[in-house]
Amino acid sequence: MLGRIIDVFDRRLKFKEDFKKNVLDHPVPQRINLTYCFGGISFLLYMLLAATGIAMIFFYVPSVDHAFVTVEYITFDLPLGNILRGIHHWSANIMIVVLFLHMLRVYVYGAYKNPREFNWITGVVLFAFVLAFGFTGYLLPWDQKAYWATKVGVLMPQSAPVAGPFISKLLMGGDQLGALTISRFYAVHVAVLPIITVVFLVGHFLMIRRTGIAEPL
Amino acid sequence: MADEITRRKFLERGIGVMAGAVTIGIGGVALTSIGAPAVTNKLEGKWVEAGSASDLAPDKFNPVGLVYESKDGWMEGKSKMLAYVKVSGENILALSATCSHLGCNVNIDDSTGGFKCPCHTGVYDAAGKNISGPPPKPLKKLEAKIEDGKLMINTMPKEEA
Ligand code: HEM
Ligand code: FES
Repeated sequence: MLGRIIDVFDRRLKFKEDFKKNVLDHPVPQRINLTYCFGGISFLLYMLLAATGIAMIFFYVPSVDHAFVTVEYITFDLPLGNILRGIHHWSANIMIVVLFLHMLRVYVYGAYKNPREFNWITGVVLFAFVLAFGFTGYLLPWDQKAYWATKVGVLMPQSAPVAGPFISKLLMGGDQLGALTISRFYAVHVAVLPIITVVFLVGHFLMIRRTGIAEPL
Repeated sequence: MADEITRRKFLERGIGVMAGAVTIGIGGVALTSIGAPAVTNKLEGKWVEAGSASDLAPDKFNPVGLVYESKDGWMEGKSKMLAYVKVSGENILALSATCSHLGCNVNIDDSTGGFKCPCHTGVYDAAGKNISGPPPKPLKKLEAKIEDGKLMINTMPKEEA
């Protein structure tokens, strides 16, 4: 059934051939091993985060008087809500570990060398984005842990010379960790970061296509 | 002529200039409004009534929670802060509980009469001076007075203890 539907399209648009050639039969170096999977696993986790995150947007309200109760609602009242939030939580944590392993493999295999320098550079930027996802997401439940951990985080730049105090205020959206902080963290977490991350992911992937993946040792 | 302006070049440059102007214009507007609260969203200092002075145990620090009306962007509501107040005869010493390191609330350390920060084990003595751990400065002093038996505290720190 599905095959016949696909054929309807393929008879007109002829993509099956290309898909077979470019995806299924795409040549990769011999002897590649499981450590080559960490990048793909990171992407899988990113998609899990996007799916569960978007589902939580339906319930979560980023304001000082609603954030906590809406997260409580997701966790304790919403059917399967704790699963939803749990997948988001664990994917976020595991993603850091998997990304580290991905970088470790690239480093150990020397796969960052010419001509793949830009893959390494976009990768470092992506890692920074994921850390920023973690930092902004951590505040959202607006519980004691979220509040004090974020307070410590936003005050860290303060010790930088000259611009330090201003950077802290920029992060908080004013003099206190409050209404404006939670809304700007939310905006960055669900709009700014997802978009710029996808842009860098596309670059990361297209460049691998161009150069091919590195030969194993 | 090297820089002859052809029709094509004129249009190319025109499109470039317009795209640049729109990007800079829209980007400038967006970034300015995103950044503005850093300067405009100020926390005002306030004198707050913090209970009756007779409730304070003398010659030792008492935790005093300050709750006061404040405005934070569009939210008009209550802000909270914690102070430690010690009344010795005529003298009132009020310290903000906010750690000078990264802003956690410090706790009273009963064994020394000073303070300990739960976040990264900063230690302060009974005068609020930082004596060990990461805190770079003493705790901040708050203005305090007793009026008609009521303890009044100003939420904006004046100086370091
Ligand atoms: C499109 C992508 C994403 C969307 C739409 C999204 C959305 C959300 C939403 C609505 C919340 C609040 C609910 C809650 O706290 O449980 C949240 C929390 C959180 N997010 Fe995301 N998120 C995304 C990606 C990520 C990524 C890539 C990371 C980090 C690797 C991340 C880390 C977190 C963390 C640590 C929390 C707090 C979880 C908790 O303990 O409750 N998110 N996210
Ligand atoms: S915030 Fe108090 S020691 Fe770091």
